[in-house]
Amino acid sequence: MNLKAFNRALWVYHLNTGSCNGCDIEILAVLTPRYDAERFGVMLVGSPRHADVLLVTGPVARSMEASVRRIYAQTPDPKVVIVVGNCGTEGDVFHEAYSLVGPVDQIIPVDVYVLGCAPRPEAIIHGVVMAWAKLERLVKGEVV
Amino acid sequence: MEKLSPKAIIDSFSEKLGDGLVGSSIYEREIAVKKNKFRSLWIEVQSSAFRAAVLHVCQLQEYPHLAIISCSDLGSEVELIYHFTIYYGQRFEELSLGLKVKLPKTDLSIPTVTDLIPGAIFTEREIQEMMGVEVVGIPDGRRLFIDEDVPEGIYPWRKDETGPDKLLRVLPGRKPKRHDEKG
Amino acid sequence: MAVGETEKTTYTIPVGPVHPALKEPIQLMLEVDGERVVNTDILVGQVHRSIEWLGMNRNNPVQTLYLAERICGICNICHPFCLAIGVEQAANIPVPERAEYIRVIAAEMERIHSHILWAGVAAHEIGFDTVFYLTWRVREEIMDLIEYIFGNRVTKGVLQYGGVRRDITAEQLPRIRKSLDYYKSIYEHLRRILLEDKTVKMRTRNVGVLSTEDALKLLTVGPTGRASGVPKDVRQDQPYSAYADLDVEAITPDMVTGTVVGDVYDRIIVRLLEIKQSVEIIEECLEKMPAGPIMSETKMPRLLRLLTDAAGEGIGRVEAPRGEDIHYVRLEAGSETLGTWKVRAPTYVNLLAVPAILQDMQIADVPIAFASIDPCQSCTNRVVVTDRATGRKSILDYQELHRLSVEKTRDLQR
Repeated sequence: MNLKAFNRALWVYHLNTGSCNGCDIEILAVLTPRYDAERFGVMLVGSPRHADVLLVTGPVARSMEASVRRIYAQTPDPKVVIVVGNCGTEGDVFHEAYSLVGPVDQIIPVDVYVLGCAPRPEAIIHGVVMAWAKLERLVKGEVV
Repeated sequence: MEKLSPKAIIDSFSEKLGDGLVGSSIYEREIAVKKNKFRSLWIEVQSSAFRAAVLHVCQLQEYPHLAIISCSDLGSEVELIYHFTIYYGQRFEELSLGLKVKLPKTDLSIPTVTDLIPGAIFTEREIQEMMGVEVVGIPDGRRLFIDEDVPEGIYPWRKDETGPDKLLRVLPGRKPKRHDEKG
Repeated sequence: MAVGETEKTTYTIPVGPVHPALKEPIQLMLEVDGERVVNTDILVGQVHRSIEWLGMNRNNPVQTLYLAERICGICNICHPFCLAIGVEQAANIPVPERAEYIRVIAAEMERIHSHILWAGVAAHEIGFDTVFYLTWRVREEIMDLIEYIFGNRVTKGVLQYGGVRRDITAEQLPRIRKSLDYYKSIYEHLRRILLEDKTVKMRTRNVGVLSTEDALKLLTVGPTGRASGVPKDVRQDQPYSAYADLDVEAITPDMVTGTVVGDVYDRIIVRLLEIKQSVEIIEECLEKMPAGPIMSETKMPRLLRLLTDAAGEGIGRVEAPRGEDIHYVRLEAGSETLGTWKVRAPTYVNLLAVPAILQDMQIADVPIAFASIDPCQSCTNRVVVTDRATGRKSILDYQELHRLSVEKTRDLQR
């Protein structure tokens, strides 16, 4: 895989839509010296307007639906959405709850799914690299 | 003040409340290798004697610890249990005291305890929105967990027709399971 | 009011619910007067996943045990532990003694990893990113140990009604002792960084004070309460499981400094000493663990039959890393699901202490003061500042708020 079109670091914005925090601590563990995603050029940013990648966790709670849509609209193109964890993919143990409005792809379009409850940090890095390859194709203008 | 034994605590309640005390029991269980005892008390009172019972708990322990208020839907009645703990801070001394009150569904109201225990505000707001119990005199009666988009009159903890069945997102091809169905 | 006159009012700053970094969504409405916080209102509900409804209507009790694990990903053993104790009381299921010790070892390992995680996050809030990376690197050792014994880093699935599902064998003991020795050797290094560093003391001493009386009235639990001088600890007061054989003492900051102030520095002291205490408890458990079976009912259909036919009620109270966790369970005969299930996590009660903690604080101190209660729901992102007098709005995002906090550290260092 030749990741050449991106000549700067990949900026990631982390969005928690009501998850149990298990996937979130594994995402933070990816940035710590043991797994160290920063050597690949991945950085967490504090605002969606600077981000290339949206990292979403959690089954979407009803009161977070508006925030999710707004943040997706604020992220500039080209962008990729990664969903981390089983409950964002298809609900997992929460699938018939009355206070949730369904998995993330019912609300915003999703590009990469990382499965697991919680997925290992190595799986999250694999997901980010797949998203990076997809982003390269988007930047070059290829059809995705 | 000195610490009373479980039996003496029940006797003091019966003395204070008289007929207001409906029932009581002591639960004991031996645990682990050394077989020390785990004890908890359950006391049931009439709703008219509820305030007096809470005042009595405050006399048994200064600043009693109210862990949570739990609600059960028993058909035509709702049972509230106030889970207190007293005599904390010393090894092996703490006792769990569950104060039970049964309310009929036609008159679901109970006085507030936030004037005696300010930390009870969150749990009283929760039983208001989740079970439909009206807490008389509550200083802040807003919804706590449920979103404003959900209409009034839906009480998730109830097992009758006011449950949240209409709000369930059921996967295509499935029928949602209810608590009284088999299989 | 005539033209040219002004009236002094307070601003209201809404903070949240979405924000970067670890924490869960929550909304704080801060009313500020100049730079000081005057009042705080907390709006929750963004993480409401209707777990109690699922436990009472859709799941059988064994499925509910796996659901209880996913209430929180950090305190992962305490919720199924509570539920198991409650159901075992209600249905009268005995627990073998060896299983009690394994449960306690799992709970103490979780406490170590949670407190080290908190130390890193708190350091990040005051701008000490080096300490954040150091503590999380130290934390990887306990995560490896948890994976070695229980099979997974997060969501272990090791508890069952009537015992545990995995045993600790004799071949695993040397590896466990190696990890515990590592923590004993690095403890002094961590203590020097967190307790003796001048900048940490400047940013945390007398910040976010909660008085003893407020802590008693607002029912604060866990390290937040113990740092304010309230010695409530379920492992000491009403011991459950194997803690009834051990001698656990509630840790208060006067063991180190001699006085109780109730600020963020005291909370650092309590959590750091609890890491040391947990290592000692695990060692004691490994020595005293009796031999024997680890589950009282190994066949699943019989267990489910027993739970369907049982009737009764029970309470489980457990000391989670953040405080007292309580579950109330009621079983009804003939019903496949739990009749009533009430969960109360420790942060539910500790949130009530936040208005008292943030009273009269500067805005730059809000991140560290809020993070010091170790919320399992947390902090700041986009902040909209409305000037009520002119109606102008300006937006501060998380980077701005974090920058204010870091700048204060640099200013103090000069």
